[in-house]
Amino acid sequence: MRTKKQALLLVGSPGKENSTSASLGTFLIEKLQDHGFKTDVLFIYKSIRQDDSKRALLGKVRQADVVVIAFPLYVDSLPYLVVKSLEIIAKDRKEKIPKTEQSLLCIVNNGFPEASQNDTAIAICHRFAAETGFKWAGGLALGGGGAIGDKPLSGIKSRARNVIKSLEITANSLNSRVPLPQEAITLMARPIVPKWLYLLIATIGWKKTAKKFNTHKNLYDRPFLS
Amino acid sequence: MKASILDGLGKGDIAMNNIHKMIIHELMEIEWKVESFILHDMKITHCLGCFECWMKTPGICRFDDAGRKIAKSFIQSDLVIFLTPVTFGGYSSELKKALDRIICLDLPFFKRYNGEVHHKMRYKKYPGFMVAGILPEADPESERIFKTLVERNALNFFPPAHVSGFIYRYQSQEEIQKTINTLLGVTETITSITN
Repeated sequence: MRTKKQALLLVGSPGKENSTSASLGTFLIEKLQDHGFKTDVLFIYKSIRQDDSKRALLGKVRQADVVVIAFPLYVDSLPYLVVKSLEIIAKDRKEKIPKTEQSLLCIVNNGFPEASQNDTAIAICHRFAAETGFKWAGGLALGGGGAIGDKPLSGIKSRARNVIKSLEITANSLNSRVPLPQEAITLMARPIVPKWLYLLIATIGWKKTAKKFNTHKNLYDRPFLS
Repeated sequence: MKASILDGLGKGDIAMNNIHKMIIHELMEIEWKVESFILHDMKITHCLGCFECWMKTPGICRFDDAGRKIAKSFIQSDLVIFLTPVTFGGYSSELKKALDRIICLDLPFFKRYNGEVHHKMRYKKYPGFMVAGILPEADPESERIFKTLVERNALNFFPPAHVSGFIYRYQSQEEIQKTINTLLGVTETITSITN
């Protein structure tokens, strides 16, 4: 018989373990550990590769009291890997939905300054929850995710103070099984740096990277015109 | 005039196979060239988010596979047609895998459009969109999310015209044909803009 509540973090970044999504999700999952949850972290890009890793993913999802999906916004919605994993989970839950209440929460980040650009992705996750028998615990949207990068939030406490506060409130609400407070959503959506500064830093960053590749004169190429 | 069809319907979705054929037929009737991509039949590597298509090889993804061919066909078309089961209000994974690979068609740099920040255009001209979502039956919430997603895509991929609509699995061939014809009305708008 299980004594501890279980939380599962699914990280939806497409090919690496260090990412903004992992930083956000890991911080939340550690806070849930502090509340006494037993926790697991799975990287979706590994979990849907093979049949046995898919089975392991489904097993963990079935056991979880709380499932958190953290992912970057790709072309206005969920990245392919996350859509695929949701399709796999939905198929499994068509056969059998666990009897215990399970909550689903998502954390979406994007590279634009506006957190609101994540709204459609959150709506899709909400719809997934409704169609597959999860209790919707809410969605957190972060804009300007590049300001977090792949750094652990504990290492950038000053810059990430609103994000940290939001995730602490979120952990409390998941633990108490109460709806996600608006304060958590508002704090996460608050710009980490002013919009103009974010855009300036991003543009300088792109140009610096291009110089490294010696492509700074070719960035505007149109290779498919011919 | 050229159209590309990105068919994101699932393997074995025989009932809906007809839709693809009906669209090709209608486009050929008006003398459009058509290039079709049956996505579940194609080997497409998923986007890694490495940004090499912006930085290292500007405009071209590092993976030389069907995903690259689709991006090329996309930008060389006058109209791109997405066919997909409505999946939690969004696109199927098959379609999404192909769409994630077209970010090379935009620039990494930013521009404000209507007060919101988006990427700048890499090309001078982008194709129109026609998006057909397949549903078992009417589902207002999924349809609302889906329509919003198409509008969001239109902000990021600059179509001169775009349209979306729904086909229900219970519908007769005649009803489906009527919906397709309505959606393909977008070809007239695109033709008039092009000429």
